[in-house]
Amino acid sequence: MSLSAIIVMLASIVALWGVAGYALVVSMRHEERKLSLLHSQGDFEPFSPRAFRDLEHWLTQHPDSEHAPEIREWQGVQRQSLQHNPQRFYDWSNADDDTREAA
Amino acid sequence: MTTTISREQWGSRFGYLMAVVGAMVGAGNIWRMPYVTGENGGGAFLIAYFLLLYLIAVPGLMGETSLGRHTRQGLIGTFRKLYGNSRLVGLGLVILIFNIVLMSYYSSIVGWSIYYAFHAVTGTFTQTNFDTAALWQAFSGNTALNVGMHSVAMLLVTSILLLGIKGGIERLAKWMMPILTIALIAIAIRGVTLPGAMAGLEFSFSPNWAYLTRGETWLAALGQALFSTGLGWGIALTYGSYLGRNDDIPLGGGIFTAIGNTSFGLLAIFAVFPIVFAFGISPSSGAELAFVALANAFGSMTGGYLWALLFFMGFFFANLTTAIAITEVGVTTYREERNTSRTKAVLTICGIIWLLGIPSAMNADILGYLDFVVGNWGLPLATFIIMIAIGWKFDAHRLRVLSLNRGADLYVPRIWELVVRYQIPAIMLGIMAYFLYTNLGQTPWKTVSGLALLTLMIPLCMWIMNRRHDTPQVATSTGDQSS
Repeated sequence: MSLSAIIVMLASIVALWGVAGYALVVSMRHEERKLSLLHSQGDFEPFSPRAFRDLEHWLTQHPDSEHAPEIREWQGVQRQSLQHNPQRFYDWSNADDDTREAA
Repeated sequence: MTTTISREQWGSRFGYLMAVVGAMVGAGNIWRMPYVTGENGGGAFLIAYFLLLYLIAVPGLMGETSLGRHTRQGLIGTFRKLYGNSRLVGLGLVILIFNIVLMSYYSSIVGWSIYYAFHAVTGTFTQTNFDTAALWQAFSGNTALNVGMHSVAMLLVTSILLLGIKGGIERLAKWMMPILTIALIAIAIRGVTLPGAMAGLEFSFSPNWAYLTRGETWLAALGQALFSTGLGWGIALTYGSYLGRNDDIPLGGGIFTAIGNTSFGLLAIFAVFPIVFAFGISPSSGAELAFVALANAFGSMTGGYLWALLFFMGFFFANLTTAIAITEVGVTTYREERNTSRTKAVLTICGIIWLLGIPSAMNADILGYLDFVVGNWGLPLATFIIMIAIGWKFDAHRLRVLSLNRGADLYVPRIWELVVRYQIPAIMLGIMAYFLYTNLGQTPWKTVSGLALLTLMIPLCMWIMNRRHDTPQVATSTGDQSS
């Protein structure tokens, strides 16, 4: 086999099997963590710090939208979960102060 | 107006991931991808393919799954939530009909794989001087046998779907997909250790960079990326509707589904082409590759019984999990729309597909014609309709903020919205226009009649759904949700 074919073959293995395998393992581990949080404290915060910041931003941009109540409902779920649950699913250590305060 | 009826959820993350990847891994991964790769510049094609996979299939699947998880409805219910009781709900019916038509002829392919799996079990291919070409010709020419295999395939699909999402689809996928993986790995190991096998890998992976400048390479990569991942057919939407409200979508429903599906294509390259080259068979694709060339090669190999058994059983599993997913789109929608039991929905939809599939089972030209119309325009149109619904009607920004990034293992940035709103719909329109341009000169009758059928179908479906809204449907509402 030529060197270029070997390189492409190895790169394909990493780009496909590597990524798919990694995604499967990470996904399964996160699910285990979610289940463990559900078991120990009933729920967990549904949004990561960045995702929650997007949610807040959406509400600021569309406060009177017909969809705002649904977004506010999720905002409430997030805040309630962060207030009542001692353990977090997402890593909040790197969240900026504004996001933490909003939460 | 129909609201969410009581519905099952996937029993486990692993079960969902296996079911969704099983839905996308079908005949095309095994009998098409190795050949398309080799014929379009090998490594150059793979680069184009990876790029398109990440630019189109991954974001598209994320959007479709996310919309299904948000509405917790099948196709028509989702469109009703988006468009209200307007005639545009008919667009959901259009996609549903594409699925049913697709399954009507895919069932024949499942039937072929059952027939060959049976012969692998009975050791037909390892008989002395067995002629696999004669077997394929005899099988193809036997109308009754083809209808019989189509019926067996639909019976199998029906029995699995009757067991439900968790007890049927998930349980099956949790076993079949790992077995398929092991079978392909085992064949690949055997294949690459055969004398002369390296030429097959050279054919598939050797990069011919000039191909990257050819439009045909990109079009072939686009076709493989779109049709292999099943983007926009309603499958990801339907499977997503059975997810829990805080389940991850971007990593599992997007990246794992698209990349995992393609990983099976790569595995097929390792499993198929080393054997093809080791036995001096001319590289090809489709039924001839699997049922004639490979069956013949297995017969000549040491331990051929085992390799034929692994290959044809794996091929059957890949086709069956796809067939189940295509049919489930109709079952979920019918159940919600008629507010009926799952048993009745399964029997009705499978019965319709079985009846519609008989002509395709009897005549390969009908199968080819349907594949031509659905493949060239039906499925790109379905993808276009779903992406417009996600990007513009629901609003991609709202979907990303509200559903896609909820419970996500991976944060999806804003650029995703541009991909779903502009890039995928534009590519879909482009691909339909290209197919029209290339086919009009070569097969004018097929092209014009196919397009006429599609053009008539859209207003007809809109009229049907508009008429149906005059008699409101009532359904019960529940909301059991967990991660």
